[in-house]
Amino acid sequence: MKDRYYAGFMQEKPRWMRSLADLRGRLFVFITDAIALIYLWTMVSYCWNTFVFHTKSFVTLPWWVMLLVVIEAAALWENFGVSIGMKLLGLRLTSADGSAPSLGNRALRYLTWHFSGLPLVGVMAAKDGQAWHDRLSGLRVVGAKDVETERYPWYRRSWSIALLVLLIVTLVAAMLVTRVDFVKFFTGAPKTGRIWRAFLSPEWSLLGDGIRLLIVTIFMAFMATLFGVLIAVPLSFLAARNLTQGLLGRTVYTIVRGAMSITRSIEPIIWAIIFVVWVRVGAFPGVLALFVHSVADLTKLYSERLESIDPGPVEAIRATGANRVQVIIYGIIPQIINPYLSFTLYRWDINVRMATIIGIVGGGGIGQRLYQYTKLWRWSEAGLLMLLIMLVVWAMDYTSSRLRARLG
Amino acid sequence: MADHLVVEHLTKVYKRGDVLALDDISFSVKKGEFLVLIGLSGSGKSTLLRCINRLIEPTAGKVYFDGIDVTAASSKDLRHLRRRMAMIFQQFNLVKRSSVLTNVLSGRLGYVNPWLSAAHQFPHPEIKMAMANLERVGIPEQAYKRADELSGGQQQRVGIARALMQAPELLMADEPVSALDPATSHSVMRYLELMNREDGVTVIASLHFLSLARRYGTRILALKDGKIVYEGLPSEIDEARFKKIYGEEAEQVEVH
Amino acid sequence: MKSTRANSLPALLGAIKPRLFAFLLDWASWGYVAYAVMFLINRYWFVRYVNFYGTLTLPIWGWPLVVLSTLELVVLGHAFGHSIGLSLFGLRLLTHSHRFPRTQDRISRYLWWHAAVLLLPVSLWRSGRECLLLHDVRSKTYMVPLAEVKDELPVTKPRPWYLTNRGLMTVALIGLTFWVGWLATQINLERLFSRAPKSAYLWKALVTPDFEHLAMPDPELKDSIMGGMLESIFMALLATIFGGLIAFPLSFLGARNIMGFSPLGWLIYTLARAFFNIFRSIESILWAVVFAVWVGFGPFAGVLALTIHTIAALGKLYSEQVESIDPGPLEAIAATGARRWQVVLYGVIPQIIPSYLAFSLYRWDINVRMSTVIALVGGGGIGRILFYYKGQVGRLSNAWNQVGAVVFAIVAVVWLLDYISGRVREKII
Repeated sequence: MKDRYYAGFMQEKPRWMRSLADLRGRLFVFITDAIALIYLWTMVSYCWNTFVFHTKSFVTLPWWVMLLVVIEAAALWENFGVSIGMKLLGLRLTSADGSAPSLGNRALRYLTWHFSGLPLVGVMAAKDGQAWHDRLSGLRVVGAKDVETERYPWYRRSWSIALLVLLIVTLVAAMLVTRVDFVKFFTGAPKTGRIWRAFLSPEWSLLGDGIRLLIVTIFMAFMATLFGVLIAVPLSFLAARNLTQGLLGRTVYTIVRGAMSITRSIEPIIWAIIFVVWVRVGAFPGVLALFVHSVADLTKLYSERLESIDPGPVEAIRATGANRVQVIIYGIIPQIINPYLSFTLYRWDINVRMATIIGIVGGGGIGQRLYQYTKLWRWSEAGLLMLLIMLVVWAMDYTSSRLRARLG
Repeated sequence: MADHLVVEHLTKVYKRGDVLALDDISFSVKKGEFLVLIGLSGSGKSTLLRCINRLIEPTAGKVYFDGIDVTAASSKDLRHLRRRMAMIFQQFNLVKRSSVLTNVLSGRLGYVNPWLSAAHQFPHPEIKMAMANLERVGIPEQAYKRADELSGGQQQRVGIARALMQAPELLMADEPVSALDPATSHSVMRYLELMNREDGVTVIASLHFLSLARRYGTRILALKDGKIVYEGLPSEIDEARFKKIYGEEAEQVEVH
Repeated sequence: MKSTRANSLPALLGAIKPRLFAFLLDWASWGYVAYAVMFLINRYWFVRYVNFYGTLTLPIWGWPLVVLSTLELVVLGHAFGHSIGLSLFGLRLLTHSHRFPRTQDRISRYLWWHAAVLLLPVSLWRSGRECLLLHDVRSKTYMVPLAEVKDELPVTKPRPWYLTNRGLMTVALIGLTFWVGWLATQINLERLFSRAPKSAYLWKALVTPDFEHLAMPDPELKDSIMGGMLESIFMALLATIFGGLIAFPLSFLGARNIMGFSPLGWLIYTLARAFFNIFRSIESILWAVVFAVWVGFGPFAGVLALTIHTIAALGKLYSEQVESIDPGPLEAIAATGARRWQVVLYGVIPQIIPSYLAFSLYRWDINVRMSTVIALVGGGGIGRILFYYKGQVGRLSNAWNQVGAVVFAIVAVVWLLDYISGRVREKII
């Protein structure tokens, strides 16, 4: 069946299209390697600067020096070993007759690459996947499965060593950027003894206040979840690939998915800042912020579930002559009620946690009071509020996980 | 008897020319016939059935049901046409979490008021009809059970009851007994036979086992690689034709 | 049903547990309804303004009235219908022959309950393993676990949801919560719409970002947006790595199938699980406050705060993963005579590595999101820049545009990371 083409379709793709596909692969490999090397260079520069020059900068040498070195290094890496890009795409270098390439051929390919690969000319004019520098050096790029390689252990393969080096350099650079200072960690410990002692003897007189604040916080989470569900359920139908067909459908799908992704990437706290400007401080902006984020998160979860429903019953209901609404109500909705409820409980959980801290930016609830106490260094009072938060969040967690288990 | 269903030059192509599921199929079915489609898996039987009621859109060709062009029907006319054609499926395709009664009633969706059905309110006569159909297939006591609590044979009977609710003129069965054991297969096929003989419903069923086809069908249509390779009476399929339909290595298996 | 002496306490407790919990749950729901009703009465009919925190004012005789009436309602519900508590704990009220009781039996049960409650200790002592209390025996109606009788019950047409105890109660609970919640959280749609034009400038500025300091450092802050973003990403990365490394061994302590073989093991398991739960409930931001005091303001405090939360969260996820492994390979390895740690190393670990990696990626994602705001309490990262520009709102004319630039950068990075981690996780699992 594979070579039966319906009349009117192309029998074979033209040569330039296949070269283009080749080009994409090689370009991907080169760019991946270049990015990895640039990253390595930048991080090493940062560490170098910090240790040797005691400055915080990512740049030691001019950018064109870096580019030169990176390009040469990437080319060398790809020709003399297996680079990260090659490993990702599953490509290897062999000679035309299938044997392992010799050092001389590799060097030849590396040199000729400057004239044919770098300006891309040699790749565009490639025949059968062989660019000029491939043909001149007698080597070709093939899939890893077609090549018999000796199984070197991981510490002798260049891409795994490279990954390890990248990881180590990242760790060191990260610790420098974030100013990790274990000395301060250990010497600062006694300072916090006061805090821990105060946590362990919470200020019980605040219990009544704390419980009332907690009640408001839980109501905040409830309202946000409820409204979020009300909006997210219809929106999820618009964001499901299998329900939005046709040109209009595609556009709506892309817009809704895009908007939800963007909204999801902004933490509720940031939303709360915006809403505090809008409706002034209190529990209301907190509810709004959580609501907006909940809609985005729930729409994503709901629509992903919609995309994986069983199409059988839907087909059957369509076959009886039902209209679209009836198909949705009888075929789709019974399948998704339980998963939707489960996701709602999951979101409810998250909203309760978020509601406890959204007070920090003026969103009301227990977070506001807690933050004020910590700013005043009143640790006993803060300790009580934290204890209450712990208890409530744990209780909510427990009940919702039991309920979700029952929803199955 | 008039031609109930006419299929002309039906073609279905997938994946921009790579897969040819149906290749220029033409045949006609008379009213009251029991047509059986046979052929290997992937020969196009399911696709053909689904093209008839346009669950799958054909790439080319025409389908005429009772003189009306199905392939050119508007969506509203298509729904009216679908009401007259019922379908039962290999995997039963019941809504698992709904009750048996709701599943059966959903066969009536093409006929009832859309607003009422949206609220799950069916008129009393429809509910009585549903219970009567459940009795007809022998499982009235399961009416309020969840659909996935029933056995395979019982679920397929619910599917038949759902089809009966449409009071169809044409019944299409996509491998209705492939997921069932031999004894249950016969009992399900007998219901189809009853519908064909007593209600005069035209039946098109795709079956795996030639013995079942011979036992129940009045006419056989054999498909291979999307083309018709045999069209005629079940008794006329001899050894040579059998090998042509199923391939050189196939052997006949009896299902008792 | 026999009526022998309660010969085993655990069995009796097991039989009582669902009934007791169902009763308590229903009582709590009615109590909540009472609270909501009192709140609404206070809010709308009392002349004196009541702080929305829920100070409930009632006359002295009001409180016992509330308690007694809720109790009565619960018992009525149990005798006459199928309440939320009963359905959650899988119990039904049936006669001896597993049929539905008649109305007079139900009334008799309701009345006898009062006597039973007063004589409860005697009743319990005399009841058998099926926990037959006085009102059970006298009215000949029994609370039967659904699992035992599921197949025998006649399958009849179910009552429509709006006529059942459960359905009405759920609607009432949700409706009341909605009403009280609306008031308690001071939702004020009027304010939302009236202030909308005034805050339109805000939205406009946010969608026209000013990328002046995207790569070039702002002299006031000595950092650029990209630098801040990098700081946040690194904070999250370090927190995930440190947290993951520490959570890895801890997760075995929190796994029932590794720990549950001795009393000491159970103790450690319970402690580990408690630790995970406690430290998971407090968001990283609150820990950052403490760490800001400990190691001073800056990204290090953020790293530590995120690490603590990560250890707890990953610990829980990891240990759940360990508990759900296939015991087959473990049996095989143990049968060869290997020691416990060898079984773990060769049997458990290979099975859990893909999920561990997937969870760690997921956690990194979350940590990056958290790190964008942890600067608020003294952590570092892009939040510092965000809140700085927010603080400049009165002084700088394009402050909100700068904020918009920061938000843009956050969205781009978080979205990209989300996408990549989603794809990689698909490949791993």
